[in-house]
Amino acid sequence: MKELIKKITEIYSPSGREDEIREFIRSEIKDYVDEIKVDKLGNLIAIKKGTSDKTVLFDGHMDEIGLVVTHITDNGFLKVDAVGGQNPLNLIGTQFQFNGNIGVVGVEGETVKELRENHSHLNLDVLFVDIGAKTREEAEKLAPIGTFGTYATGFNDLGDHLVSKAMDDRVACATMIQAAKEMDKPKNNVIFAFTVQEEVGIVGASVASYDYDVDMAIAIDVTMALDTPKAIKRMSMKLGDGPCIKIKDNATISDRNVVEFIKNAAIEEKIPYQFEVLFGGGTNAMGYQRTKSGIPVCTISIATRYIHSPHEMVSYEDVLNTVKMIKAVANKEM
Amino acid sequence: MRKYLKEMTELMGVSGHEEKVKEFIKEKIDGMYDDIYEDVMGNMIVLKKGKNSSKRVMVAAHMDEVGFLVTKIHKDGKLGISMVGGVDPRVVKSQRLLIKNEIPAVVNSKPIHLEKETSSVAKYDSLKVECGFKKDEDAKKKVNLGDMVTFDVQYHENGDYALSKAFDDRAGCTVMMNVLESFKNNNTKPEYDTYFAFVVQEETGLRGSGVAAEYIKPDAALILEGTTAGDNPENEPEKWATHLGDGPVLTFMHSGVVLERKIFENIVETAKEIGIKYQYKMRTAGGTDAARLARSLNGIPAGVISVPCRYLHSPNTIINLNDYDSVYKITEKLLIDGRMIAE
Repeated sequence: MKELIKKITEIYSPSGREDEIREFIRSEIKDYVDEIKVDKLGNLIAIKKGTSDKTVLFDGHMDEIGLVVTHITDNGFLKVDAVGGQNPLNLIGTQFQFNGNIGVVGVEGETVKELRENHSHLNLDVLFVDIGAKTREEAEKLAPIGTFGTYATGFNDLGDHLVSKAMDDRVACATMIQAAKEMDKPKNNVIFAFTVQEEVGIVGASVASYDYDVDMAIAIDVTMALDTPKAIKRMSMKLGDGPCIKIKDNATISDRNVVEFIKNAAIEEKIPYQFEVLFGGGTNAMGYQRTKSGIPVCTISIATRYIHSPHEMVSYEDVLNTVKMIKAVANKEM
Repeated sequence: MRKYLKEMTELMGVSGHEEKVKEFIKEKIDGMYDDIYEDVMGNMIVLKKGKNSSKRVMVAAHMDEVGFLVTKIHKDGKLGISMVGGVDPRVVKSQRLLIKNEIPAVVNSKPIHLEKETSSVAKYDSLKVECGFKKDEDAKKKVNLGDMVTFDVQYHENGDYALSKAFDDRAGCTVMMNVLESFKNNNTKPEYDTYFAFVVQEETGLRGSGVAAEYIKPDAALILEGTTAGDNPENEPEKWATHLGDGPVLTFMHSGVVLERKIFENIVETAKEIGIKYQYKMRTAGGTDAARLARSLNGIPAGVISVPCRYLHSPNTIINLNDYDSVYKITEKLLIDGRMIAE
């Protein structure tokens, strides 16, 4: 499965520009599902029919955070705005790509004092991206205004731990693809929703289930791991302790019955799990919870270090257990 | 194509009080549509049938403007106000206001030479609105809590520029009215069935458009807006959001949604074809009804075209009329050519 994770995380597809990732997922999953469609916003919906009349939906968002070109200077530098939640601190010292052109990030400052101040109060107004263009015209050819960019950092296999720019949320997409491949005929009907534009505000998941009757919707996403030196003490998610069953975050309180259902499925199949209470944050579960007359929701999270940085780290064991958990839920009688 | 711009911006209608604006529009577009529907929220939806009824296009502009409501009647007969939509209290000081479209008022203000803390930001709690009532009983005879309060401003034109309040978003409404009129006068039709939605309560959080969409069930939507310019001369051009005179503002993403790429590209292509100047929005902050529509029904892809407005959400907003004209031209062309449906 590592090969799948490597391939899927190395694709460049920020929010609103999911064409490439969608085609990749379609080609991976098409032989393993009964039905596949793309809706008006670009969500990829893959359906695997079960033997019961109940339906469970799993969601993984296809998009990743990025930058968008908003202005080009006379000397060919790009000014950019954030696509999704970007911490400017993470931008310095890493590589970006715009249309495949590598760019590095610099900081403005006309005096030493100003440069110091800009460094200590980093924001996108004082940053620029250098793609090696010497003139405005050259830059406009490579990355015109409106071009979306992403981190250009690669995948690294550290053994038990894996590192990539886009574990959020490609690792979830990978678990869903893998589960579809390993699933024979599930008990419940299973909808795999690979959704768009989560990072700019849960757009795709707000509408993906509108045309279906769904009994339970489960977002698969990453969550903060707090097992690094002096991490926030009041939360406890750890790499390697199993998939996290979310109790609540800032956007959703998980449905108690769904939490119990997932927990029991895990116990029955002897899959390790941890509970998650996240202060802050939110997942696509919010979109499903508020669709039509409401769908009972929960999130299965994969504990991740350094979220929204160019190097997001997960435990491979957690990933494999998430695949098992998806299968267990799909096969458990509702 | 500039018809009604003066009357429309001078009409008073904060979010939730759009009736006067709606009545005016309804009267002026009489006989120009195939069907009209008003929902309980106050949205007015006007259908112009196209050559092809296989798809439905929604064009939306909001009728409401930012302003205030009376929320307190003080013992001394002065009024306390709260904002409807976002209005920085600093632009309110010393302004002339109109209470429920009839009672003139001013925002009281300490003479500026007596202000010790000139850099401190005024708060609505400290603002009082004076209409000339001696005490609260006098005020209560004419004013009720919840009465609408608006900026009292007249429309002026000078060459290419126009000054008024509420170009956000009466400019969008006026474009739709003029497009409807042009369809009638030239006996032309849009390609697809087109629903012109004059929506309510955008400024308080994109409330009307989603409800209007439930009725229309559109395949795609075009949002016409007034957007911030921020092109102050003391700022470097790269920090501007848009610039007056550079043409319609085309948006690839804003707060809450990345706009459908194919629609965006069709809008850009259409602008090129008709040979108008256009610009991109260079800031992604701020949103439009497109963010709500993306989350409505089973997802409605949208495009956004805006008139750049200097001093947006203030009593005195300035637009360049050539920008406005171009928004009109591009909208009409897009609808006639059926390019809102991006296959």
